[in-house]
Amino acid sequence: MTQLIRSDRRAFLVKSAALTGGLTLGVRFPAFAQAAASTAEGPEITHWIVIRPDDTVLIRIARSELGQGSFTGLAMLAAEELECDWGKVQAEYADVNEHVRRNRIFGSMSTGGSRGIRDSQEYVRKGGAAAREMLVAAAAKEWGVSATECSAAKGVITHAPSNRSTTYGKVAGAASQLEVPKEPKLKDPSQWTLIGTSPPRFDIPAKTTGKQIYTADVRLPGLLHASIAQCPVFGGKVKTFDDSKIKSMRGVKKVVRGEDWVAVVADNWWRANQALKRVSIEWDVGESGNVSSESIMQFLRTGIDAKEAPVARKDGDAEKAIVGAAKVVEAEYYAPYVNHATMEPQTATALFKDGKVEVWVGTQNGETSIAAAAEASGVPLESAYVHKMHAGGGFGRRGPHQEYTKQAVQIAQSMPGTPVSLQWSREEDIQQGRYRPVALVKLRGGLDAQGNWLAWHVRQADQSILITVRPTDIKNGIDPVNVRCFQDNPYAVPNFTNEYAMRNTHVPPGFWRAVAHTNNPFFRECFIDELAHAAGRDPYQFRRPLLQQKPKDLGVLDAVAKAVAWGTPAPNGVHRGIAVVDSYGSYTAAAVEISVKDGTQIEVKRVVVAIDSGYVVHRDAVKAQIEGGVLWGLGSAMHEEITLKDGRVTQSNFSDYALLRLAEAPGRIECIIMPSGGFWGGVGEPPIGGVVPALCNAIFAATGKRVRSLPLKNHGFSYAV
Amino acid sequence: MSQFGKVWVRLSENPKRGEPVEVRAMVIHPMESGFRLDNVGRPIPRHIVDNFLCAYAGTPVFRAKLHPAMSANPYFVFYVVAEESGDLVLTWTDDRGEAASHSVRLEVT
Amino acid sequence: MDAEFGRRRALTALAVGALVLVVRPAAATPETLAVALRETFGDRPIAQGRIKLEIPRLAENGNIVPVTITVDSPMTEADYVESIHVFAERNPLPRVLQVELGPHNGRARIATRIRLAVSQQVRAVAIMNDETLWSTAADVEVTVGGCDP
Repeated sequence: MTQLIRSDRRAFLVKSAALTGGLTLGVRFPAFAQAAASTAEGPEITHWIVIRPDDTVLIRIARSELGQGSFTGLAMLAAEELECDWGKVQAEYADVNEHVRRNRIFGSMSTGGSRGIRDSQEYVRKGGAAAREMLVAAAAKEWGVSATECSAAKGVITHAPSNRSTTYGKVAGAASQLEVPKEPKLKDPSQWTLIGTSPPRFDIPAKTTGKQIYTADVRLPGLLHASIAQCPVFGGKVKTFDDSKIKSMRGVKKVVRGEDWVAVVADNWWRANQALKRVSIEWDVGESGNVSSESIMQFLRTGIDAKEAPVARKDGDAEKAIVGAAKVVEAEYYAPYVNHATMEPQTATALFKDGKVEVWVGTQNGETSIAAAAEASGVPLESAYVHKMHAGGGFGRRGPHQEYTKQAVQIAQSMPGTPVSLQWSREEDIQQGRYRPVALVKLRGGLDAQGNWLAWHVRQADQSILITVRPTDIKNGIDPVNVRCFQDNPYAVPNFTNEYAMRNTHVPPGFWRAVAHTNNPFFRECFIDELAHAAGRDPYQFRRPLLQQKPKDLGVLDAVAKAVAWGTPAPNGVHRGIAVVDSYGSYTAAAVEISVKDGTQIEVKRVVVAIDSGYVVHRDAVKAQIEGGVLWGLGSAMHEEITLKDGRVTQSNFSDYALLRLAEAPGRIECIIMPSGGFWGGVGEPPIGGVVPALCNAIFAATGKRVRSLPLKNHGFSYAV
Repeated sequence: MSQFGKVWVRLSENPKRGEPVEVRAMVIHPMESGFRLDNVGRPIPRHIVDNFLCAYAGTPVFRAKLHPAMSANPYFVFYVVAEESGDLVLTWTDDRGEAASHSVRLEVT
Repeated sequence: MDAEFGRRRALTALAVGALVLVVRPAAATPETLAVALRETFGDRPIAQGRIKLEIPRLAENGNIVPVTITVDSPMTEADYVESIHVFAERNPLPRVLQVELGPHNGRARIATRIRLAVSQQVRAVAIMNDETLWSTAADVEVTVGGCDP
């Protein structure tokens, strides 16, 4: 039984006996800050559901809560089919060690690609449905009646003919002994009563009041703190270091060295970090000490200028059509490296004791964390334990990349029996990111004399992320993720060639929220705007005929156009931009209204985003993803850029790597949630796609200035505050 | 230029006559699989250790054929029955004809 | 080196050009594995049992996956393991390793480290001196590639 004793406003000291076999400190953190016990004191009805005698329902969640609402959404999917009382539902993370021991029974724990709901929904719903069937069968068996004569609603099972009823809690024990139905019957979406609504989310209250425990808030007996410095030039190593200056510093306990890092362990993080700054480290920077943003640009240019490049798609003959076109538009676009800049820097807490390793980490994938912990420490998987914490922002940073987990484990292994909380400083986080890759694109388009779009040719030169995580997906030199938006574009243009020239630098790449659907939509939807203007046509009307075969793209595009009354005169000084992007199984469009003062100060008055994700689970969470996606897009478009000099990242903190400020936020964000049913699309990333191009198209409408590279600040723009 | 680096061999202690001795052996070699791509997306040519042989007093006692799916710095643990004191000679050869060899004395009590 | 390594008693002789692996084959699929198994073992029946494969259920990136294979055999002149073959069904090439053993090993146990490109099933087959074949398999999830972007 876990007891949580609040010792101060933000930290919880845990005292308890072991809950599951093998946990050294016997700690099992609830995933939310409330002191309610989350122990499973009841039988499992399928591995997803535990039902206690008091009728409370514990639903296990395999994916991670990053603020996107999946912790609640996934519980709703199960609860809908379970027919329990939602007011009695609690959620907890499926234990990762148990998951491994039970041969990955909870399926994928990966939380990325906007897949948390859409990839799990079928088997999670089936888990709830199976559990319901088992509970009803148990009651029917007890009553000696047929299960078909029984019904279940809000945790109560009723046999109408004999006017008997019982509750889930009472039959749970018997139900858990029954065989799990292989093909439980799922509700038709028209029967949903919970899915599609907006019940209070499990994570929001604690996050609002400051009670939410994040990894850095975990307090364990004897806990020490570590700060780390990794080689500022990616690929470099530690040569030597001199820690003589810090040996007498207060609170400093140990200096630990890895292949490419040095960490200081102290009794609090501030002291650890201050001491770390006084350790002089000599780096062997390796091969990339001369790389700069300029050299990277030159390298990308070799991709654009290369005579040939692998072809990702070829329809008709774009070359010929462009040569014969009445009007040709040619443009080069660029987007820089950007950092995830999660509000919570990379953090992991680890304890190595008696041949076991325990890790607390806000991970996007419990499986990568446990595998990383086991490999870093050399213990077998079964001796590794990962306590998943809600992450303070994931955005793709915390899935495949587990350096902080491995570092924490290695530091802890150097001091067995002592738990160590490793937290990267903000500077370390900015400079040791896994960046959205830099991209240079050359686009050419051809129009006929009537201004119809006949052809386009796209040559991309950018850095592959897949090559670092799943290189076998790359065929013929083409990264299938990076060509998205071009290779799979929805426009019915008869001649199209998409070429892809891979150009990988020493900068470590990563999946930044929406990945290729951040820069590629900017390139594509702005270029289409250029074509429209060259044709003398309205950008919205220019697109429509070419989307006739894509009703869902057209649907969202029409929705935002209607919302801003596109085609009617805008209020004085207000200018509009529009864009449509489908991604991660969903269809989105954005319309942005701005006014511009003095030619440079942009006031974003209104952003309208429409999304068709097929179905919607937690409606308010979808709205939040749209709003957050808009802010994400607007901020990155204006401020975000990672540059390099001498092989290392120049930026270091929010002073030189700014995010959107409250005062810069748009006057209004309107969310048009229009699920058309019949498919499951993602929601975490799709809303971002159209925002940046719609904004840049509005800037052109307002100022006549065509922005072809980001961030906007480099063009003298700012947001009016 | 040879891609072979250092060799590391360990035998279990106090080998007794007639009992299996544990042999652990590793050689430093990149084991370039041929499936990796360079920084502009072109395949890096394959270069792997493709054969490993351990001979004991002149007789082959362990033979391995390695494919590109073997990890870098190929590592093996295997067993050899200790008969007479003698040399274990371990030889690694790669797909370009290069070889690395190491001899370790097996003293049997 | 013996080009017929590990196939001393293979029944089926395939034409030299039968399996042509050009520069960058697509990832091996269960079908390609079936071809490799057939090439190596012909039509001989492969039974489950006697051979044990220890491999972690999860691997972080698949570059260094430790494997230990043990066969239930006294390794005497009368009963010994002749060879062990390891396959990875979804690697670009399904073959991983072939090992030749004999009574001089005393113990039918080997350990090594292998590369797995993606999540997949790893299979180990032992050929005994009495010409019987024994097989086992285990699934490994390569977690870093699991995050579908």
